[in-house]
This record gives sequence, C-alpha cells and structure tokens, in this order.
Amino acid sequence: MVDVVIAGYKRSPFTLAKKGALARTRSDDMAAAVIRGLIEATGVKPEDIEDIVVGTSFPEGEQGMNVARLIALLADLPISVGGMTVNRFCGSSMSSVHIAAGQIQMGAGEVFIAAGIESMSRLPMGGYNPLFNPALAQKNPGAYMGMGETAENVARKWQITRDQQEDFAVASHRKAAQAQADGKFADEIVPITTKAGVVDQDGCIRAGTTKEALAGLKLAFDQAGTVTAGTSSPLTDGASAVLVCSQAYATAHGLPILARIRSVAVSGCEPDIMGIGPVRASRKALERAGISATDVDVVELNEAFSSQAIASMREIGFRPEAVNIDGGAIALGHPLGATGARIVGKAASLLKREGGKYAIATQCIGGGQGIATVLEAV
Amino acid sequence: MAEMFTKVAVIGSGVMGCGIAAQIANAGVRVLLLDILPREGSNRRAVAEGAIAKALKTDPAPFMSAAAARLIEAGNIEDDLARVAECDWIVEVVVERLDIKQTLYRRLEAVRRPGTPISSNTSTIPLSQLTEGLPERFTRDFMITHFFNPPRYMRLMELVTGPHTDATLADKIALFCDVALGKSVVNCKDSPGFIANRLGVFWMTGAVTQTIEHGLTIEEADAVMGRPFGVPKTGVFGLMDLVGLDLMPHVNASMAGALPENDEFHAINRDIPIIGRLIETGYTGRKGKGGFYRLNKTGGKRVKETLDFATGEYRPERRAELPELVAAGRDLRALMSAPGRVGAYAWAVMGHTMAYAAKLIPEATDEIVAIDEAMRLGYNWKHGPFELIDMVGADWLIERLHAEGFAVPPMLQRAAGRSFYRVQNGIRQQLGQDGEYTDIVRPHGILMLEDIKLAAKPVLKNGSASVWDIGDGVLCFEFTSKSNSLDEQIMALLGKTIALVKKEYKALVIYNEGSNFSVGANLGLALFAANIAAWMQVESLIATGQEMMQKLKYAPFPVVSAPSGMALGGGCEFLLHSDAVQAHAETYAGLVECGVGLLPGWGGCKEMLGRWASDPKMPKGPMPAPAKVFEMVSTAKVAKSAAEAREMLVLRPSDRVTMNRYRLLADAKRRALELAADYKAPEPREIVLPGPSGRVALNQAVAGFAKLGMATTHDVVVSGELATVLTGGDTDIIDTVKEGKILDLERESFMRLLRTPGTLARIEHMLETGKPLRN
Repeated sequence: MVDVVIAGYKRSPFTLAKKGALARTRSDDMAAAVIRGLIEATGVKPEDIEDIVVGTSFPEGEQGMNVARLIALLADLPISVGGMTVNRFCGSSMSSVHIAAGQIQMGAGEVFIAAGIESMSRLPMGGYNPLFNPALAQKNPGAYMGMGETAENVARKWQITRDQQEDFAVASHRKAAQAQADGKFADEIVPITTKAGVVDQDGCIRAGTTKEALAGLKLAFDQAGTVTAGTSSPLTDGASAVLVCSQAYATAHGLPILARIRSVAVSGCEPDIMGIGPVRASRKALERAGISATDVDVVELNEAFSSQAIASMREIGFRPEAVNIDGGAIALGHPLGATGARIVGKAASLLKREGGKYAIATQCIGGGQGIATVLEAV
Repeated sequence: MAEMFTKVAVIGSGVMGCGIAAQIANAGVRVLLLDILPREGSNRRAVAEGAIAKALKTDPAPFMSAAAARLIEAGNIEDDLARVAECDWIVEVVVERLDIKQTLYRRLEAVRRPGTPISSNTSTIPLSQLTEGLPERFTRDFMITHFFNPPRYMRLMELVTGPHTDATLADKIALFCDVALGKSVVNCKDSPGFIANRLGVFWMTGAVTQTIEHGLTIEEADAVMGRPFGVPKTGVFGLMDLVGLDLMPHVNASMAGALPENDEFHAINRDIPIIGRLIETGYTGRKGKGGFYRLNKTGGKRVKETLDFATGEYRPERRAELPELVAAGRDLRALMSAPGRVGAYAWAVMGHTMAYAAKLIPEATDEIVAIDEAMRLGYNWKHGPFELIDMVGADWLIERLHAEGFAVPPMLQRAAGRSFYRVQNGIRQQLGQDGEYTDIVRPHGILMLEDIKLAAKPVLKNGSASVWDIGDGVLCFEFTSKSNSLDEQIMALLGKTIALVKKEYKALVIYNEGSNFSVGANLGLALFAANIAAWMQVESLIATGQEMMQKLKYAPFPVVSAPSGMALGGGCEFLLHSDAVQAHAETYAGLVECGVGLLPGWGGCKEMLGRWASDPKMPKGPMPAPAKVFEMVSTAKVAKSAAEAREMLVLRPSDRVTMNRYRLLADAKRRALELAADYKAPEPREIVLPGPSGRVALNQAVAGFAKLGMATTHDVVVSGELATVLTGGDTDIIDTVKEGKILDLERESFMRLLRTPGTLARIEHMLETGKPLRN
C-alpha cells in the first residue's frame, strides 16, 4: 500500500464569532490565504496538487456553491487543481484528510490539500433553511437535538460534574495561553488581512480564566444541567489546511514530513449523546493500527464540550498528559468544519515537536458520530 | 424640510447636550458633538465619546435607533472647534456659567461661518447677559433654544430672541426644531426662567411649602395635585424625585436672584431644611438613594417608602384616602373650595399658580396660548393654567383672590365675566391683552382633528369610532373606544367607511389624537365571550376582522395609517394592511398577542411573512422569513420607535416618519393624496412556506428555550400554534400558499388557543394587573 503523509499544516487565527477580528471576513477568503500560506511554507509545487478537499458544516451561503473550487480560484491555484466540498458537520475536514488519503492510496493522485472552513459569524448554526423530517424528529428526537443538550446528556450519563468540567476548561485555557505566550502557534498561523488590518493572533483564549469566574456563569442549555458557555467551545471563525501526499512524493520533493497516516475510522453512536462519538471511532482506528490507547504519545481530542471530552478520554483510556498539549477547542475555539484538519495537522506537528511514536486526532460529530485518525512518526 | 441642515454642532455633551445631539441625529442630521479635554488619558475625545456610549445604554433611550448614534461624531473644543465651520447651526449646552459661555462664544466667533445661527440651551441666564459685550454680528445670529429633559421625549422648545436677533434666522431655527426635531416651539421673552420653568418652579415650590404648611402627607399632596388637575400621576414630589432634589436649591436660588423683589415667588420660596438634609445624605432622588419616595431593599424585600415630614424619617408608602377628592369628582372648583386641609392645599397651590400664570402676561409672553402650551408640553400637564382657569371660572378665581386680599393680575381681570378661550364659528380663539379674542392660528402645515371637530360633525359615527372629512376628498377614520381598543363596532364602521370612500372620496387616513394609536383588540370582550363559551361569536369577530383588513388592503383607494404612541396587536395589524404608514417618530408598534396567549389573528402573521419573504436582504428558501417572524412574534417584540419598526419591517422602506406629533395628520393626508393620484390596489401575494419540516425546526428551538427556563409551559403551547401558522400548516415547499390559507390557519390557531386555560389565565391577569402572566 502507498504510504500517505501529512507534509504541512496551517490555519488562520481562530477568533470569536460576531465579536472577533475575523467576523467580517468570508471563510473562503480565509481558506485561500491559509492554502497560499501552506504552499509557501512547504514549497509544494502548486501544479502537482490534484484536488483540494474542503470540509464545512454548513455548505451554503458564502460556504456554498462548491466552495472548494472557488477557494482554489481565490488562491490562484493552477486551473488544473480540482475542488470538492465535504460535509460531515464537525468531522468535515477530518473527512477531507481521509478522502485525500484514500485517493492517494487508490492511485488517484499524489498531492492533495485537505482544508476546513467555518464562519460561525456569517452563517447561522443549522443553516438558513433548517427543514427537519417530521417523522424522524418524532422517531429519534436526538437526530435534530441541539449540541448543548447532548453535552448535558453526556454529563449526566457519565456523571461529569460542573466542577470537573470547569477544571478541564481552566486547564485548556492555561495550556493554550502558555503555548500562545511561548510562540508555539506562530508557525501554524497564517496572518489574515482584513479590512480593519492584519489578524495574526488567536482571539478566543482567556489567559486569566479561573474556576471562580467559570463558577459564576449561567447555565447555557438546561436550567437543571451543568454545562455553561465556559465549559463549551465558543462559536468561532477560522480556516485550516493540511498537505496530504504520498510519502514517496514528499521524500522525492524534500517536503517536511510531519507524520504518516496509520489508520482512520468513523463510527456512529446515539445522536442524543453524540459527544461520546470519539470512543468507538478511536477504538476502531487504534485497532486498525494495532496499538492501544496507552501507546499513543500525542492526543488531539476535540473539546466541543468539557463533558464529552472528559467522558471520551476516560472511556478510551488516553493518558491525560498526552491530551491537547497546547490546549483544545474550549480555549482555542471550534470553527466547526475547520476543526478536523486543525487537529490532524496539530497532532502531526506535535508528534514531530514532542517526539514519540503515535498520535491520534479524534472528535465527536453532531447527529451521533465520531471520527479518528491515527498517525505515526516517520 | 428636515434636510435644510446637513450638520449641526453641539457643544457640551452632558445629559442635555448629548440628548439634543441624539435628537438631531434621530432626525437623520449629522452632528459634531464637542466637549472639553478629559482630565486624564490619551484619548482626547473621551468625554464626548463616553457621553454617546452612555446615551446608548440610557433608558428611556435618547436614540431612536443605533444607526442614529452613528451620525454623531465626537470631538473636543481644543482640536475640533474650527470644524463648526462645517455646521449649519451651533448649539451651546455647556455649564451654566456666564464667563465660560462668553469665552466660548468669542472663540466660536473666530471660527464659525458668518451667519451661522448660534443658540444656547441656558435655562437660567438671560440672553441680554449672554450677548453683553459681544459684537453685533454675533448678537444678530444668537438666540436661546431651551430644550426640556429628556430632549427626545419632551416636546417643548422655548425660543428666546434678543432685540438684535435676525428674525429670518430665528424662523429658520424654529422651523428646524419643529419639523426636523418634532418640537413645539414656544416664543418667550427674555425673562427669568422663560415660561415653563418660571411657572413650574413656582408651582412646585408652592406645592412643597404648602404640603408642610397644611400638614398633608406626601402621598396626599401628590394625590391632590396629580390626577384631579390633569398633572402626571407622579404629582409634585414624584416629579422632584425624577428631576433630582439637588437641582432644586440651585434653581430656586437662581430664580430668586433673577426675579424682581415684588415677585410673588419670594413669598413662597423658603429654605426647607429637610431637603438640604436629604441631599447631604445622598437622597437626591431617583438618580441617588431615593428622594421623597424611596425603594427600601434591606432585608431582601423591596418596600416602597415615603418621607414623613413630621418625623423626618421614611415609613412604608400609604395610599392617600381623601374623601374630598371623591366628593369633588371632576369639579376642580369644588375641590379647591372643600373645607379642611385638602381644599385649602388645592387652593393655596393651584389657585396661586393660576394667578401667577396670568401675571406672566406680558412679562414672559404676550399670549396665553404660549403659557398653556409650555405647561402641557414642558410639564406634561393635560390642561394649561388658563384652560384650568376656564374650568373653575375666571370670576370665581378673581373673587376668591380679592376675598383673600391677593392682587388680581390684569390679564386675569380681563377675563372677568367671560373665559380665556372660546370657539367662534368653529375656530378656537384666545383672549388677548387688548381684551379682544383672536383666532388661534396653528403654524403652517398643521392639521388637527381636534380643530376639525370644532367646526364639523362626523361623517359616520358609532360607539367606538368616528369618521371625519378632512378635506380634499380624504376621510379620517378615528378610533374612539377606551384606549382605542378594537372591537366589533370599529370593524362595522370600517366596513361602512370603505364603502363610502369607494363611492365618494379619494383616500382614507386612519388616525386619532389619543396617547396611543391602539393597544389592540378588546381583551375584556374576548374573555367575556370565552367565559360564556360564545366561541362562534369570537370566531366570527376574528373572521370579520380578517375580512375588513383584507378589504382595507385591496380597496380601490389608498389607505394611510398614521400612528403615534402604541400600535400593538390589532393596532399594528391596521398598519400592516395599509398602503402606506406615516408614522410619528414616537410609534411603538409590535404584534404582542403571544403575551396574552394568543397570536395575531387579523392577518398580522400573513403580512409579516409576506414582508420578510420578499425582503431582498433575506437568504433564499422557505425558512428564513418564518423563522424571523417567529422570533419577533413569539417574544411579543415591540419597536421602541418608528425607526425600530422599520428594522422589524412593520414599516416598509416606502413608509415615512413625521417627527412633530402635530404634523402627523397633515403629512398622512398629503401622502394619501399622493398615492391617490394613480392608485392601483396591490396584487395578492403567494409565498412558499416550509410546512411541517419548518414547524418541527421551530418547535425544536422553543424546546431548547424551555429547557433553559426562558420559555414557560404555556409559551411552548402558544409558540407551537404560532409555528403552525407561520410555516403554512401542512403545505409543502413545492407549493405556494395563498393569503386566504394563512388567514384560515391564523383563525384556527387563535380559536384553539382561546380555549386553553393557560391563555384564559393570561388574559385575565393582563386585564387585572396590566402585566403579562408567565405561566
């Protein structure tokens, strides 16, 4: 089988939806800038790129019209480069990576860009026209359930207290703030030029967050629940991209290989506890890789909510110190469609930076799914 | 006409300055708002910027929309003063110190464009002093424009000109304040306190001293001085709490210093030590810890308390029980003659205030109508002092003053044996200083139903509405029911009116001069009908209302609604079915039915859906319009201005706004005639709605709010019905929905809701308390 590697990772700064510095920037523009930055940093020849595969949770409005192709045009890629838009909600751009890897392995190209976008400022959650199937809504209410409610369900079922969720959130902000202060995001962020100036810093991280501050927040979804805005990932704007290519191509062209894709998986779960999606997906991917959870040195587990992240970690059995070394989505933000490519790219980068043999990126997906990617050091 | 100024400079960004700037911006005119440099910090515009930011958070809001605030540019008088040359009018609203004002004027003189009008908002410094020593070219352009607080809501503006003021320039300012800012401009002489404050301060001071003198409690004093005399129910003490107790000593001292020695004010103006003590201890009124009234929040409870003059301490508020008020009824003379302390108090305060008002002719103005207007609009009195004198009788007042040894002012003496106002040949006239009556002439371009009624009889009339011929082929439909609530009779007369206009007239205007256009359907009737299970009757009223609204919309003549104040529920549905709306800027419109457990049943859902669905800024697809309308209607959202109503699409881009309440009818009539020129009735709309798929999505959202405790149990029921209507019932996205189908859905859902105990409880609660029940 052809070995597939991650040979580069870039993202835009992640900023708060509506209030943040990127609220007035279209996500296709962000993606074009990020892809240009990725090409520049890796030195990949644009004409060798087969296709760009862009994930987004809401492929409509400014993210519609097969936005992937439009991003290729915006980024001035050679006219020969294709474009495909992928939707698997929050797992969208991790699926982009998987599709690219699959295409490479079946000989349908050697170089792909797997990207993700989401402007949560500019598109409503649920899209402009949420039209639910009444019969399904009745048969399986979880199918259309709001994400906050699923987070409450997970908290209740796995008995994750508000206190534990807040500890987790504080730690996420602390790690992210430290990484930011140490300049550890500098090589992954592509500055974005907006009408109001250049944006080159993440905007969601709250360095000063404390348990006390979080304890004072109102419940966000359920009066009888435990989840607050502080233990949920914020609505975020951002774009991300990774360069996916055959190992042979990367070696031949001297591209900076970050990690090799060892295995991937998706798995469904009950929609009303979608946050637990990473569990089965990770187990499947680990099994396919022939390793166990404790063998993993670097874990990027998306923090959609504290409750589901904690429950998933526990169930899978990851070593806590391996998880989200530079902070997770609670601090960094979660621009839905852009998160998958970010955590794959981040896991690959961290494997290189921190050393070790295996990394995994995994996340939960609305509607009841999980997705996972196992990486190994080259 | 509002366009005649493109930019105005306001100097001074305190509460008044910023409020005036906001009102100018509300009129769509750009403002340069300047203040001094901040004491610290590097932002040299911080003072004015801070004032704008604060105003955006103030309630009641100085701004009519967020867009208005963006018309104001902040600056400071050190860096930006020269930019007044860009402005068509300069309003000075700085601290009340002659030296500071004059220094500023001299600096302005160096930078302003020659001929640019300058005015001061001073309330205490005479124009003669302000202009002393300044060159003639300055005095020619200078006048006093005295606004009342808060400038957006208080409709009075006193205009004072000096002997050198250019009359054309003064007219220009008066016209701008009238048309663009919506003020009623009252010309005053350059005398202390001008008109409203001169008389208002006399009245308030008298009320306080006489309360103590006659041993009334504060509640009793306010009960006597409030409702019976048509004064806002805050009375005197409530008003002083609102204005700020700390202002009183300054205002009184300044008034005492400025008035001649023989002025009656000196006799009633005395130091009241308890007020000084209140101010010293932070009880400066509502802005402080409280005033004559306070809210005691100690011990977790909120207890309304009142100051007791006898003990100097606060005690729980006690409702005034005064048999004298009941006995007198509406007879003010009886009240002022009642034996005992209540009658003595009413006489001592109001009798002398009436006499003092007469004395202000010719000191403060030559016209009684100016004084009445100033008190009506500057102090929100229902009747001016001369109107009050006519109510008690000038002869009675003269006689009593004589009997008690008080001087009778010449102007009062002139009214002996007659009244200050009379109606002659259908025109209201006022008594002049020459003892002759003259017609009261409204400023050009004003048409009032109140005037029309003096000279004419209604064309049609029943117990709840009247129809007036307002000339040029236009009829005016007036609601006359209690609170202008809508009932069967209104619908019946509307049917007749439509038939009549069709036959004999060109256009119809729907307008009235109540404080509110209409607060909606008569809920009492709905509850009564529900209680006796008269479902057929209710359904027929809904159906008739729907039919009338459709007739109004598709009539072969233009219909213009001209709302002011609240236009809620059915009142709002009138606006939605009119060809055009000419709204007073202070229009508060919205579909509030869900608050009482119902939904808009006279086509409100249908019209709002149509508007949002055809709004070019909305995303495509069947869901955005229902979702948007659902958000507004389910939360019973009310626009807090005509500008906000525009944002909600209750007003369309083609609808227009009138700033001056008095000009509303004339503007509406003009609009109706414009439309009548080549009128074609609109074509019925058909829209695509999402059907059950969309309903499920909306219900899902409500379920989320319910979990959060933001939607109550009955909210879920009500919004479920609303979702059914707004998504088109069982329609499919490949079909189009006709208006009739949405009306059927409205009616069916309305009837289902009316049969629920939750809705009946809400209606009952609203009727009893005036507040929504959150069940």
